Amino acid sequence: MSSVMAFALMTMKSLLRRRTIYGIAIVIILALIAIGQIPSFDVSNQGRFILDFGLFGLEIGALVLAIGIAANIYPRDRERRTAMPLLAVPLSRTKYLLGRFTGAALVQSAALVTGSVGLMIVLLLNGLSIPPDLLPATLLLLVEGWFLLAIVFFFSFWTSPPLNAPLTIILFVISQMSVRDFVALMPGVPGVMRFLRMLLPHMDVFHIKDPVVHSVDIPAVYFVLAILYGLAYTAFMLSVALAVFRTRDLK
Amino acid sequence: MKRFVPILITVTLGIAGCAERIDYDIEEVAPEEHLHGEEEHLHGEEEHHDECCDDVHEETSELEGLHTGVHMHESGVRNHGTEWFFNQPWAASFVWGKMLRDTIVLLFIATALFLIPRIRNRKQK
Repeated sequence: MSSVMAFALMTMKSLLRRRTIYGIAIVIILALIAIGQIPSFDVSNQGRFILDFGLFGLEIGALVLAIGIAANIYPRDRERRTAMPLLAVPLSRTKYLLGRFTGAALVQSAALVTGSVGLMIVLLLNGLSIPPDLLPATLLLLVEGWFLLAIVFFFSFWTSPPLNAPLTIILFVISQMSVRDFVALMPGVPGVMRFLRMLLPHMDVFHIKDPVVHSVDIPAVYFVLAILYGLAYTAFMLSVALAVFRTRDLK
Repeated sequence: MKRFVPILITVTLGIAGCAERIDYDIEEVAPEEHLHGEEEHLHGEEEHHDECCDDVHEETSELEGLHTGVHMHESGVRNHGTEWFFNQPWAASFVWGKMLRDTIVLLFIATALFLIPRIRNRKQK
């Protein structure tokens, strides 16, 4: 595990040297500031608007961060031929994937936590209180971000970066859909559509934006279950990515 | 292709474990009392409000024939207007067992996908 952590720290440092992460983080913070400037138009509970849009912005930010950070990691290593000497001796393919994923997850988590702190500051500057469930909601967003990161890594091993982004976005969108809405996309083959929907994750598990905004109490056991579900799906996607990576010829 | 066969078999078996029926699409697996929480009393309230509104309509000629049918519900409770809010996993405790089951199945598949090639490599050595 020490080699994995060392490689993860290397990955984190290389990602921090790139300007992509800073650009995305600045966009997220600017979006939060803009959300805080939305006038209330004398509508009560202005805090709900800020919180709702803010959490939605963080979720989209997690998606953009996952694509921006991870879509180009393996393709760049293959093009620059840095993957071959790494995998020749010091690292197995498993450690390479885990190290890259861990480093990218650390960077993504730092950006999302910064965004969450920014949302809290925006709430305080508008004279609003911070809901107690905001931190657990942020934790669920982190887990969702890790899951999206695993999906991007999976696609990166067999598609190009320009194709990785739309595939990830499509998967993100259709994973939010209910079964009824998904089957309605192609009503002529309901059995096939239902089977396809079963393969996809239930990303509504991560959505606790509505109860947080409306100050509805969420049982702690649900947070634990949702986090475990997210981590399990992340492990599943990483294992599938590893299975694909093992069949790839680096030459 | 040979390498993908155990992967496909493992994934298919795991998904078959998850896919007895569509898991936690709340509207499909929810019990009746969860789906129709307070709607039974709505008709009574609407009739009551119909009577109330009639007086208002008689007084205001512009609103004659118009029927808003506005009625109030207790806040924070499921009703026909808040179905979207309570049809989410956090509010449906009957799907939490399915979430836990899927977590276990996914971890099993991930472990199998991780270990099968390593076991095969050891056997070849």
